[in-house]
Amino acid sequence: MPFGSNIIMAGTDPKWQKDAADQNFDYMFKLLIIGNSSVGKTSFLFRYADDSFTSAFVSTVGIDFKVKTVFRHEKRVKLQIWDTAGQERYRTITTAYYRGAMGFILMYDITNEESFNSVQDWVTQIKTYSWDNAQVILVGNKCDMEDDRVISFERGKQLADQLGVEFYETSAKENINVKAVFERLVDIICDKMSDSLDTDPTLMAGSGKGQRLTDAPQGPQTGNCNC
Amino acid sequence: MNEEIDDSEFYHEDFTTASSWEILVANMEEIVHQWKSDKQHEKTPSSWDIKSEKLIYMDHNFDFTLYKRTAKECSMSENKPKHVLEEYYDFTLENSNSQDALCLFDWYGLNEFIVCSTAGRIEATNNESKTKILLSALTVLVNNMNLDIPAFVQIQEKWQKVYCGVYCSNGIRTNFDIVHLKRGPHYCQNLTGLLQLFKSKICSPCSIENITVSCKLTYQLQEFENFCNVSKDIINLGSLFKLPLGLTTSPVKTLSLHAVWSCLSEHSVIDSDSQTDFVLMRAQQWHCNVEFEDNLLCLLGDCLSEYLSILNNHNTIYDILGDYATSNTPEMNPLDVLTEPAVPTISSLIGKATKFRPKRRRQRYALIPDETLVTLLYFLFPDAAESGTVPYGVQIEHLPRKYTIINNRDEELNNIKTCNQESLVWRLSLVLSLCLQNFGGLKAFCHLWYEFVQEMRYRWENGIPIPGVSNKMPDLRTCLLNQKLQLLNCCLDRKIAPETQKFASAENSEDEEFFDATDDLDEEKRKEKYSLWDKPVGRLAKFNDLKLIKTGDPLYIPCTQDPVLKTEDQLDEDADMLLKLGSDNEASELRARIMSASLLSDMESFKAANPGAILEDFIRWYSPRDWIEEEELDEYGQKKGSLSDRMKLDNNIWVEMWENSRPVPAHRQKRLFDETTEAEKVLQFLDLRTVSQIVELVIPVLSHASLERVLDEMEYFPMEIPHSQTRAISLLKHVQAISRDSKCDIKRFEIFMQEITALELQISQISFLQSTLNPENIEDEQINNMIVAFVLGRNVNIENKERSIIGARIMELFKLHTQKTFNMAPNELRDRFDQIHPVPAQKEFVLRTDCIRPNLHSCQSPQFLRAILGRNEFRLIGAFSEDTSFF
Repeated sequence: MPFGSNIIMAGTDPKWQKDAADQNFDYMFKLLIIGNSSVGKTSFLFRYADDSFTSAFVSTVGIDFKVKTVFRHEKRVKLQIWDTAGQERYRTITTAYYRGAMGFILMYDITNEESFNSVQDWVTQIKTYSWDNAQVILVGNKCDMEDDRVISFERGKQLADQLGVEFYETSAKENINVKAVFERLVDIICDKMSDSLDTDPTLMAGSGKGQRLTDAPQGPQTGNCNC
Repeated sequence: MNEEIDDSEFYHEDFTTASSWEILVANMEEIVHQWKSDKQHEKTPSSWDIKSEKLIYMDHNFDFTLYKRTAKECSMSENKPKHVLEEYYDFTLENSNSQDALCLFDWYGLNEFIVCSTAGRIEATNNESKTKILLSALTVLVNNMNLDIPAFVQIQEKWQKVYCGVYCSNGIRTNFDIVHLKRGPHYCQNLTGLLQLFKSKICSPCSIENITVSCKLTYQLQEFENFCNVSKDIINLGSLFKLPLGLTTSPVKTLSLHAVWSCLSEHSVIDSDSQTDFVLMRAQQWHCNVEFEDNLLCLLGDCLSEYLSILNNHNTIYDILGDYATSNTPEMNPLDVLTEPAVPTISSLIGKATKFRPKRRRQRYALIPDETLVTLLYFLFPDAAESGTVPYGVQIEHLPRKYTIINNRDEELNNIKTCNQESLVWRLSLVLSLCLQNFGGLKAFCHLWYEFVQEMRYRWENGIPIPGVSNKMPDLRTCLLNQKLQLLNCCLDRKIAPETQKFASAENSEDEEFFDATDDLDEEKRKEKYSLWDKPVGRLAKFNDLKLIKTGDPLYIPCTQDPVLKTEDQLDEDADMLLKLGSDNEASELRARIMSASLLSDMESFKAANPGAILEDFIRWYSPRDWIEEEELDEYGQKKGSLSDRMKLDNNIWVEMWENSRPVPAHRQKRLFDETTEAEKVLQFLDLRTVSQIVELVIPVLSHASLERVLDEMEYFPMEIPHSQTRAISLLKHVQAISRDSKCDIKRFEIFMQEITALELQISQISFLQSTLNPENIEDEQINNMIVAFVLGRNVNIENKERSIIGARIMELFKLHTQKTFNMAPNELRDRFDQIHPVPAQKEFVLRTDCIRPNLHSCQSPQFLRAILGRNEFRLIGAFSEDTSFF
């Protein structure tokens, strides 16, 4: 593998030691942004995590992530937000990461009919590969481009109602509703979680501090990662 | 300094003249005040509200306890009787509770009382004078506080349940007294004698006329094994499909039938040495209750607890099997004989090398006998035999369910992350449980796993597909073990396939070329264009009539490498590695490079299939949204266009990869997924599991199977199990959680196990009572309700006595019992049964009256005597009242 050497370097990089020490949070939520290619997933994530916007990000290869810690209900919630490649060829790779995701931001582009028509497909993908209690928010992105709009707000809202999910129109470029979407998603997940805590006391033991990260068995394994 | 200390001691000295006894009384008063000011508990799960405090007197510890029935139980509180004994009550239908002192409720019918008893084992109240001291303390307490609650002291040994107590109200004092003997005096064995005793004890100045008498005779049935066959599991092919459920012995310890007469006048009945009116068939009422055995072995619960017991065993199966696993020759592996290996396996070679070792294993180890092992392996691998097995995917016809326990059952149960019921993993978990429970425990468990792993290896080496496992990519919605086997089956598929597939693709491409060559012009052009080293290879199909931008040749979708298959543990490792890189831009780029292996492979395949292609061509196939079309047409009649801005970025990984890629068809590229390595990884994974790890793999499936088993049982059960729906949903939630825990949560599994065992026990008890008391399975709500009440430990009033279905059946059971004890022929019994009355195990009489005491001008006060005449116990429980005023 051509990039194997890079990974080993990463092992000695001080960066991930910092990451390992960065366990200062009460909950960790894994979120995924999905949707057709070039609807603006990466821009949306950069706007939220770094508050930056560039007109063109390199098309995501496979999957990438960003981390942001927020305060919600006096709790530190660490969000691990996975950004996925929208291309058809990457479906098998990206769906593998649906497992264990607590929330999905399903995105289409209001200037692109096809991306809106694919929403149903994406919902099916979520149903197939994720856990049944994962929360979904439908997002129509690029709402700053009013001149090129082909999907009205009403159509988006109607589809969201039909799917039983919440709906926002956003703009990563103009920073419209980006934070709101994430905050709402975190709230829905918190509500759902406290519901299940009420009904299942045994969950209490399992919902400790970011167990997924601390459970990591060992260091990087170069051999396994040829995805 | 010393003086100062003396001073402080001096000031702490208590100069009041209070004796320790007075302090005791004061303490008691304080406690009672405290209790009175306490708010009533909003919710108490039991029907009794119990408050307890500790007292110390003369270096002994005492428990000072208030017992009070909760409000909902005593609905009669509005018209409260003047005297506690007038709470009309003879025989309770409630079962006596585990709390010792609650027998005072059973005997006297008291709804509220205080008990002072020694704490711990030491019996400080054995001595009569000590008893008197405590009792007088209580009397002072009751009088001082005008307490309307009877107060008791427990005396003698605790198990004897002997109390004496006092109660004062409206100028009447009642003394409670109990006599407990092994055998009573002969004159107290019947009603006549007891009446005399009662009268002489009251010692009233007037004659006592109006004594009311209540009586309860208790008949008992034991040894239920004689009456009913408890199903014993026999191992056959059919039973392999189900986990065991039920009991191996009778759950019933005693069935008691109580014949009850209430409030008779003493003159209307005769019960003496020679004659009695108290005969079972003439009773006013029949009450019945059932006592169940403790610590019964529930088969399903036992099976789960067996797993729990080996969950902490970190030995490998080789540690446990010892010589067996290493010296086992493949000829002795029964399935090897069945499938007749053409090529010797590695293990067979090793086996031959070690053949000279003395054979001693089968005798030494409690392993599964060959015959059983073959049955079990045929069950797991039905394709190994030609007939007599049950292949996977054969739907078993289900009778319509009688009850719906869980709505959308199929959907809900599909949410459990395990596997299909028609799968190898499911059957494996059943068989492993069977080995663990019935065929020799841990060793048999390991033995079966060993044989299973051997079979997996054998099938991999010989290219035989694994049955009961889909050969699609690992389904992440199933359990890890199932994913591993899916991965192995996929590897097997790819291992078997290459020859045929390669052949097909070669043919395919030839075909296409042949087809293309029909156009002579085209072919010439092609020959010009493609030099020998630049021939198109690895084409799959044309892509939407698109043409390459530079050459105008049709754009072909290339044959690409098969997708990389991973199981969830491998995916987690990948994700962890990606996470550890951090989240800055550099790390992002690094991740993109790590992830780009398949992109590179696709680009190379594309280049090989489309000589002369440029990045724009690739993008049009791979990421069409990054191709911005224009209206203008190019020379080949397709719309012109350009790459999107993001594809035109400098240092763009897509451009860089495209420039670095060479035209190499998929089958000549470095493999992204090497089935041989991956299959070997799976086999190693299976082979090197410790016992604990095997259990962790199996527990989700086992929990799911247990739930299915219990649901099946309840859905086809003759009657509805109490709270079946809420209990089933609770179990379902546990199973869903268990199946998703990445690490086995022992606590959760234990809770699940307890819940399922409790349910299993209740199902078994109900099922046993149904078959015993309702052998003809008559559907009757009343019968069902009664059985449920029995299971909940309640006393049930049998309406219509022997004329009801249950009553008649109980009589029949008594007849059978009599027949057994007297060794009579059935005919003889029929004729003589009416004369042979069953002997009551216990007689109980309650005598009550109101009379003036102690002298002629006293007012009337209630008198009470209960006599319990058991086989090994004689108890008189008295409460005698007298007027406290002088005249």
